[in-house]
Amino acid sequence: MIKINNLQARVEDKEILKGINLEVNPGEIHAIMGPNGSGKSTLSSVIAGREDYEVTGGSIDFEGEDLMDLDPEERAHKGIFLSFQYPVEIPGVTVSNFIKTAINESRKGRGEEPMKAREMLAKMREKTALLEMDKSYLSRSLNEGFSGGEKKRNEIFQMAMLEPKLAILDETDSGLDIDALRIVAGGVNKLRTADNAVVVITHYQRLLDYIKPDFVHVLFNGKIVKSGGPELAHELEEKGYDWIKAENA
Amino acid sequence: MSDEILDEITASDYKYGFTTDIESDTVPPGLNEDVIRLISEKKNEPQWMLDWRLDAYKTWLAMVEPEWHNVTYTKPDFQAVSYYSAPKQKKELDSLDEVDPELLRTFERLGISLDEQKRLSGVAMDVVVDSVSVATTFKKTLAEKGIIFCSMSEAIQEHSELVRKHLGTVIPKRDNFYAALNSAVFTDGSFCYIPKGVRCPMELSTYFRINEANTGQFERTLVIADEGSYVSYLEGCTAPSRDENQLHAAVVELVAMDNAEIKYSTVQNWYPGDAEGKGGVFNFVTKRGICERNAKISWTQVETGSAVTWKYPSCILKGDNSIGEFYSVAVTNNYQQADTGTKMIHLGKNTKSTIISKGISAGKSHNSYRGLVRVGARAENARNFSQCDSLLMGDQCGAHTFPYIEAQHPTAQIEHEATTSKIGEDQIFYCNQRGIGTEEAIALIVNGYCKDVLNQLPMEFAVEAQKLLEVSLEGSVG
Amino acid sequence: MTDLAQDLLSSFVVAEPQLNGSRNLGVVHLRKEALDRFEAQGFPTTRDEEWKYTNLKPVLKHDYRILLKGDDAVSFADIKSYLLSDLDTYKLVFINGKYSSWLSDSTHQEFDVCTFAAALNKYPDIIAEYLGKGAPKGETFVDLNTAFADDGAFIRVKANQTVDKPIEILYLTTNENGPAFSQVRNLIIAEQNAEVQLLERHQNIGDQPSFTNFVSEVFAARDARVSYYKVQNDSDEATLVDNTHVVQKEQSNVHVGTYTFGGKLVRNNLHFYSAGERAESHMDGITIIGDGQTVDHHTLVDHQEPNCYSRELYKGIYLGKSHGIFNGKVMVRQKAQKTNAFQQNDNILLSDKAKVDTKPQLEIFADDVRCSHGCTIGQLDRNALFYLRSRGIPKREAEGLMTYAFAADALEYVKIPQLEKRLNRVIAEKLGINLEFAL
Ligand SMILES: Nc1ncnc2c1ncn2[C@@H]1O[C@H](COP(=O)(O)OP(=O)(O)O)[C@@H](O)[C@H]1O
Ligand SMILES: [Mg+2]
Repeated sequence: MIKINNLQARVEDKEILKGINLEVNPGEIHAIMGPNGSGKSTLSSVIAGREDYEVTGGSIDFEGEDLMDLDPEERAHKGIFLSFQYPVEIPGVTVSNFIKTAINESRKGRGEEPMKAREMLAKMREKTALLEMDKSYLSRSLNEGFSGGEKKRNEIFQMAMLEPKLAILDETDSGLDIDALRIVAGGVNKLRTADNAVVVITHYQRLLDYIKPDFVHVLFNGKIVKSGGPELAHELEEKGYDWIKAENA
Repeated sequence: MSDEILDEITASDYKYGFTTDIESDTVPPGLNEDVIRLISEKKNEPQWMLDWRLDAYKTWLAMVEPEWHNVTYTKPDFQAVSYYSAPKQKKELDSLDEVDPELLRTFERLGISLDEQKRLSGVAMDVVVDSVSVATTFKKTLAEKGIIFCSMSEAIQEHSELVRKHLGTVIPKRDNFYAALNSAVFTDGSFCYIPKGVRCPMELSTYFRINEANTGQFERTLVIADEGSYVSYLEGCTAPSRDENQLHAAVVELVAMDNAEIKYSTVQNWYPGDAEGKGGVFNFVTKRGICERNAKISWTQVETGSAVTWKYPSCILKGDNSIGEFYSVAVTNNYQQADTGTKMIHLGKNTKSTIISKGISAGKSHNSYRGLVRVGARAENARNFSQCDSLLMGDQCGAHTFPYIEAQHPTAQIEHEATTSKIGEDQIFYCNQRGIGTEEAIALIVNGYCKDVLNQLPMEFAVEAQKLLEVSLEGSVG
Repeated sequence: MTDLAQDLLSSFVVAEPQLNGSRNLGVVHLRKEALDRFEAQGFPTTRDEEWKYTNLKPVLKHDYRILLKGDDAVSFADIKSYLLSDLDTYKLVFINGKYSSWLSDSTHQEFDVCTFAAALNKYPDIIAEYLGKGAPKGETFVDLNTAFADDGAFIRVKANQTVDKPIEILYLTTNENGPAFSQVRNLIIAEQNAEVQLLERHQNIGDQPSFTNFVSEVFAARDARVSYYKVQNDSDEATLVDNTHVVQKEQSNVHVGTYTFGGKLVRNNLHFYSAGERAESHMDGITIIGDGQTVDHHTLVDHQEPNCYSRELYKGIYLGKSHGIFNGKVMVRQKAQKTNAFQQNDNILLSDKAKVDTKPQLEIFADDVRCSHGCTIGQLDRNALFYLRSRGIPKREAEGLMTYAFAADALEYVKIPQLEKRLNRVIAEKLGINLEFAL
């Protein structure tokens, strides 16, 4: 589905990604772990097309198409979704209005008709129920005054509404209490099909107890320095990152 | 209203510094007493009306065009204005094919029906018949409740005493340069009277009024809400009217008697000039309302049009427990300039006022908030809250905030806040990531920013106002 | 044109040859041009937007003496109470605009703490470089001062130097011979990475009216740090127009605190020009005045360069028949991206004859900035008052305590403990509260 080849990126003069290789196929779940500042959020932003980062080398193919020249919204239309580590507040814009606009713009981008109001409503009802959210959420200003956990849950709600092919969840578990974690992870699992894929960025095993990865990668200093199966996550949980740092010093 | 209070409001110490330069040649040959007599005669007006106009004219002659506001423009040539031909007959077009295609495109974006498009662009058809019939239907419903809603000309004929009693009581002839000019030469406008205890069952809109489309540059509106009554009044058209008129100097007076409430909403969308700043309407409007005991006046405005706007819808909170509100969105783009705000004059006890102003500047435009909150020496327990926010888009525009706050009573509680911000790149990226393009994202964010004001508008109006914001900010992101 | 303006103009001819610097052609020119501008403008009236709320007529009408003489009769005992007696400081004392060497304690050692008059003669290059470069031409009081000012404080701190103790500047007016009109001037230069603390006071010691037209130009070079405190607690007959103009370069940090309790009419024109990146500007003030007093704070922060910060906090408490005015303008020029400007003006009216006019202004020409202003007029927080009383504190004490706390909020940046203590005492006195209790 997505094929990242020797990807390098920087901000101003600072090299952040120094040659990332990663391939994700439909139906797979990948976990990316790594110490703070290693470049995990940068990688997800670059995939989503954030212009603050300058791509200095390598390529990203999505379903056989080069992503580099596409605007962020075009990538979204193709089915790439990023759950932000720090979701952004937009005062005065309600969650429902926002998601309605997002869905219909994506449809327009794909040459489809806007979604019927009734269908939209039904879908919102269904997905709020899935994530055990109160419907009053929908009429609140987007992320404004939301607690950390509410923001993350709202990200997954939007993912549920948009039904992306590739979802990248950047530290979606941080800020969630145990119950919320279970609900959010349950939601992600229910949204899984053989055709879509998930990349989870996390520090903790506990999320991976719910969302079981097929592959685990360790990102360190702008490179994937280790890949393995679910057992790698356990090993990291036990030993921390020091041995990775030592190995790559 | 007693003279004393009028003096207090119009006294020379509050004029934002009306000053300087008497230009001796500003007396326009295009306007003289004979012209005014002619207007009055053509309209078959009673003698008192003519005298009133002439008096206003004399006052105007001695006045100077104000210069204190934060706008620059070439002063209108009052000589070039044809006052006596006021209700200008627009050239009638035979079909929509003759209408400027750009205008039609805008209509489409605003979702305006074909018939409506024809009416707005002045295509001759059964529109007049339509609106007459619409108007008559509504008139009947209104008449049953004793509500008077008609043109100012008609009111002067049919309800002479009512007009005479209230005209110029809120905005005296000498109030300011444009108000004086308007008082001398106004050609038409709306008149509205809601009897005691009546709640007007529908939103009154200039849309339903006969002749409205051709009301001249000097519009005069008077709304009187008698004791305990309620009315919501909508003004303006929600499509860009490519009016040839350069100068609009309207006057709107509101009278809210004891326990009455008036809600006055405006969507102003006159031609702003082109992207290079050529053309466009000068919108110099005086709007003011007076509140008697327990009365409430609420002004809501969405200002997106005009090349130059100069406008301060105000409330005189004369009666105890009266309430004034001002909700405003002003958008300027390209070379537009807006200097707008409000005055809240607290005279009675326990009076309350709220000001919410959202200014948005883009392009090379300038957007100023100018407001006055005054708590008089007898206004025990007056309360005011003001929030004035500016949003800048690009580094070629300017945002200015000039609040004046004057308190003369120890129990006054006044709070004023102002902030300046821009649309965050992270906000735009977030929207992009969810599939929303940049232009659409800006519209969304701007609408959110203006929500507190848009929420005050009646439903249909709010939707159109939202679209209007989008259209006026089009192309403002580089 | 007022009589006073007329008098000033005609006495210039007499005064000019006697003024310090009269052999310096540049200065002579400066004075002449300034006088011409003053002649064209005269004194402002309430028709001028900047003077809309402050009427000078009543204080301009006196028959002031313009060319003042020094007064030898003043002894240290007379002025002791106006100085921070419990602190070692450099002292510059001027009487009727003339330097009093026996009351002063100046230095030329590592830094110059001396007089404007001396500088006019001694440092022509510095005068040419700085004089009149901070205070804008065309401001009528500045022009008038430029024409007449003969003496005042001259302080120059060379690069990387820190002045070892605060500098106290005291301007006295004695007026046995009738009303006095005095014009004095500071020139303060902090060179690169220099540091200095200043304390300034104008005092009328007589029972006749006095009018002081004062200009202070402050230049803070790169990385310089200046703390400048103005204690305004003059007699009931004194009028002060204080024009302080601060020019800041990269990373400099300047704080001006203005504490106003006395005087008949005090007008502070305090302007900051933020002309270097990452400059920091602080200004705060406390005003507590009563019957017959008017205090007008006119501030301007002109952000000209990117990444600067400004903070402004003015508190006012008005008793009796007093009149408070605040006009604060924050200007952010097109180039000054990433400016962070904050302004707050809070007022409490404690009498039904008191009056407050406030006009905070923002003028923004750059889009990537954070600017806010806020202003409040009101009373003490009823909930907090109730809270205190429910803890057994009587109403009067509770009110005093809260009013005190309201004002003292603006003392946070005072770096001289002795001054802070003294200000606390004045505030407590003015509010009639028992300080032991409040602290
Ligand atoms: N916009 C940016 N400007 C400057 N530095 C950045 C920017 N984004 C990320 N960085 C730097 O790049 C490194 C990687 O950051 P990030 O991708 O957020 O790491 P992670 O998500 O793994 O904690 C960090 O050192 C961070 O400070
Ligand atoms: Mg991260």
